[in-house]
Amino acid sequence: MSSPKASSDFGNSPLLQLQGLQVHYGSVQALHGVELMVRQGELVALLGPNGAGKSTTLRAISGLTAPAAGRILWRGACLAGLPAHRIVRLGIGHCPEGRRVLARQSVAANLELGAWLRRDSAAIRHDLDRCYSLFPRLAERRQQLAGGLSGGEQQMLAIARTLMGRPTLLMLDEPSLGLAPRLVEEVMAILAGLHRDGLSILLVEQNAEAALRIADRGYVLEAGAISLAGPARQLLNDEALRASYLGA
Amino acid sequence: MDVLLQTLLNGAAAGGVYALVALGYTLVFSVLGVINFAQGALFSLGGYLTYLLMGGHISVSGGLPGWGLPIALPFAAALLLAAAGAALLSLLVERLAFAPLRRRNAEPLLSLITSLGAGLVLVNLLQLLMGAEGYAFPAGSLAGLPAVVSLGGARIRSVQVLLLLICAAVVLLLTLWLEGSRGGRALRAVAEDPTTARLLGIDSDAMVRLAFLLSGALAGLGGGLVGVSVSLPGPYFGIGYGLKGLTVLVLGGLGSVPGAIAGGLLMGLAEAMVPSGASGWRDALAFAILFVVLLLRPTGLLGRRLVEKV
Repeated sequence: MSSPKASSDFGNSPLLQLQGLQVHYGSVQALHGVELMVRQGELVALLGPNGAGKSTTLRAISGLTAPAAGRILWRGACLAGLPAHRIVRLGIGHCPEGRRVLARQSVAANLELGAWLRRDSAAIRHDLDRCYSLFPRLAERRQQLAGGLSGGEQQMLAIARTLMGRPTLLMLDEPSLGLAPRLVEEVMAILAGLHRDGLSILLVEQNAEAALRIADRGYVLEAGAISLAGPARQLLNDEALRASYLGA
Repeated sequence: MDVLLQTLLNGAAAGGVYALVALGYTLVFSVLGVINFAQGALFSLGGYLTYLLMGGHISVSGGLPGWGLPIALPFAAALLLAAAGAALLSLLVERLAFAPLRRRNAEPLLSLITSLGAGLVLVNLLQLLMGAEGYAFPAGSLAGLPAVVSLGGARIRSVQVLLLLICAAVVLLLTLWLEGSRGGRALRAVAEDPTTARLLGIDSDAMVRLAFLLSGALAGLGGGLVGVSVSLPGPYFGIGYGLKGLTVLVLGGLGSVPGAIAGGLLMGLAEAMVPSGASGWRDALAFAILFVVLLLRPTGLLGRRLVEKV
């Protein structure tokens, strides 16, 4: 399914589209018809308070949680029923909440597992070097166990490991969570750099200001539905948003 | 000196078998966090399959008295096929006793009961077919192998040496595979964090099936090896080894591969130190060791701390 309206909007085709997405956890409804789109090359921020359903949205896209209704379209094709390990193959890289590095394995082994689906060993080595130059602290600690890294280093490892899968769309869940302000800036600068290089990114954040500074567009999710959407600059200046999330 | 060497070798051989059983538990435990209680029954199955594949016949008290397979394979081939048979049955156990519960997100502890049930059904089917009494492997099962070898003045049953070598080789191959291969690394990723593994593109359900396949093969190998070195004392004999393997598992530390190997050897050697006149005390000794180790190190010899994640 193609959307001529989107291409005239931005000149780019939609990569990911959520249409009326609903998710239930038992008898609790977490998402009430979420509508969202990420175009090729865009950095889209998904904002909202704790418990609004941001992580659930990402989990539904990557196949970890089955939607109750609605459609998830990837390049126009419906992802319904595909298991998580098949969805990764399509180019959707999900860096989950809470870092989730493999603590008992080395930094290098974690990164190599990020490329588990790939067989192009020369290109994998090249990407490994690129990750180490992007995150020099990981290069220093490449033989250490991932469980011994600091919180910020684990976050960087989790991002780098997702990059090792060469995703078309990088989905990040709260990469700034628990990081010192200086590290938040560092992570955001790296994401902005990846975006400049053409990577499409869907960034889930509670730190709305940091996310909107680097994003093209943003969505605000409240109680399982999109309450506000628009260009990042416009959202940054939105009175209601400023009052509730930007602390101004 | 000879007696000591002899004792050590016997102990190491028995310990190797315990390590195989404990490794089988470890593989499944590491990916699912539960114990597969059907492991002992698969051990029995391995022993009986090896016996039948080598041309053994069913006794008069069995369900098909006098029946035997129309083939008589050499020991090595029979053992490998028996291991493959136990591996396939282990997959069936996963399908029947574990997968339905996982699909419904049931309490993982429930699979202790379902796997115990699957094991009891299997052992009782074996008893129906083969009868309750023991079987000895036909004389000359290990054709070409002298019954006894001399080693540094000690006279050792060569089957014990063979058993020890096979166990060592299997343990070594499994460890190398887990550490170095693509599948082994995927299995360890699933063991550590199934969700992350899925997001890396690893089919965690396939890895769970692989863990059952391997653990079934280990049980089948153990059963065939014990059968040829001692005998098949009855369909329940694997349950005894299964329980001993559980002891070893806890002794070495739940989920730890080196722990399962070290625990198996320790248990085998300790038992071998019990004088043959007091062999009734063997199991008492096993549990005394377990008691002392758990008193000093509640997580087992090489186990990790129970609370790892904050």
